[in-house]
Amino acid sequence: MDYGKSDLADALAAEYVLGTMHGGARRRFEALLPAHVALRRATAAWQERLLPLTAAIDPVEPPGEVWRKISDRLDRRKSVVTGAWQRLSFWRGFAALASVAAIGLAVLLASPRPGAPPIVVVLAPTGAAASAPGAAPIVASISGDGATLVTRPIVPVAAQPNLALELWAVPTDGTGPRSLGVLPTGAGATVALRGKVLAGVDTLAVSVEPPGGSPTGKPTGPIVYAGKFSL
Amino acid sequence: MVKATADWSERSHDLSRLLARAGLGDRAAFATLYERTSSHLFAVVLRINRDRAQAEDILQEVYVNVWRAASSFDAAQSQPLTWLTSIARNRAIDSLRRQQTQPRMRAASAFADGGESEDDDVYETVADDAPGPLELLSRAADARSLAACMDQLAATQRQSLALAFFQGLSHGEVAAQMRQPLGTIKSWVRRALVALKSCLDTAVQRDSSGR
Repeated sequence: MDYGKSDLADALAAEYVLGTMHGGARRRFEALLPAHVALRRATAAWQERLLPLTAAIDPVEPPGEVWRKISDRLDRRKSVVTGAWQRLSFWRGFAALASVAAIGLAVLLASPRPGAPPIVVVLAPTGAAASAPGAAPIVASISGDGATLVTRPIVPVAAQPNLALELWAVPTDGTGPRSLGVLPTGAGATVALRGKVLAGVDTLAVSVEPPGGSPTGKPTGPIVYAGKFSL
Repeated sequence: MVKATADWSERSHDLSRLLARAGLGDRAAFATLYERTSSHLFAVVLRINRDRAQAEDILQEVYVNVWRAASSFDAAQSQPLTWLTSIARNRAIDSLRRQQTQPRMRAASAFADGGESEDDDVYETVADDAPGPLELLSRAADARSLAACMDQLAATQRQSLALAFFQGLSHGEVAAQMRQPLGTIKSWVRRALVALKSCLDTAVQRDSSGR
């Protein structure tokens, strides 16, 4: 299906935001979001249209213990945050494996400055992968001169045999993801960025593919990690 | 005329700052964010999942996620209240699907249309004093000058939209509640969405050219 086609993207996004899209269809839609700009835009537009309707609902005060429980949970994974890399200690708290599925794109970024330090992009597990116990992100660091990209999983990524993880650069113009190559499992990788592969790109995503990478040049499996950044 | 929308944006302005600070690890800002938004999000969740204990758990999950994802929130892309509400709605809708496996809801009129197993599950009838979905829609419509757009919709389209949106019902559940064939509901909802979109987009253009 061509999710870049705007009518289809709009119709799917409308049913997703309205809430009539349920179950497997909903999870599939969420898994597609990080890699499809047209879907993301259509979804955001429908959220801005429909969600203010919820202002008509009378507020209901939650019991105080809800906040106490939230607070306790945050204490347990407390971290001192002064910079992007230190922030990673927060993520290390999550344990080990990566599985598959869809929501938050967590992003930490440092903008390029004179002297051009690397840009750090945190690719958070998405969808089902995000709710798997021990889900941990992959960190990608783009060198200041934009020539190389180094990925480093926070914990070794245990991929299933016969599956590969492929890294994609997702441009904002809706032309679809561009492959940056297949990632080795269990360890980090250094990817040479040829030419302007990151031009107009604001999202990095990782999908599950057959060994050797996607046969079609576009992601064919679920998106399991995604992170946004700005150059 | 567009008061609710204006409030929505106004509240969003303060919330943007709180979210940005929470994204940097500021717990006090996060506590304030919770204070200002939790009663709205709890109400949104409760509309969809009426089990109070579950709704409280969902709210907890929502804010833990908000804390984790706060640094990725982009104020240029969406309004904070929209972003927060969408996280809460998604969690609440997901919780309904899990609930299905537990035999706690009574079966409603088993309106079977054959296909779509995802759609033919049961629903719960609203049986309390809270305003119904239609009343909510009309409140929101008054406030957002949507009244004119809503008037263009057939009453049945309006009702199917309200049931789906406020209670998180699937097409099949709306069909059961309104005692209509699934295909009819799907087309009502679809047509209502299309009409609403063009009406709202026109209103936005009118507003911005009027300034």
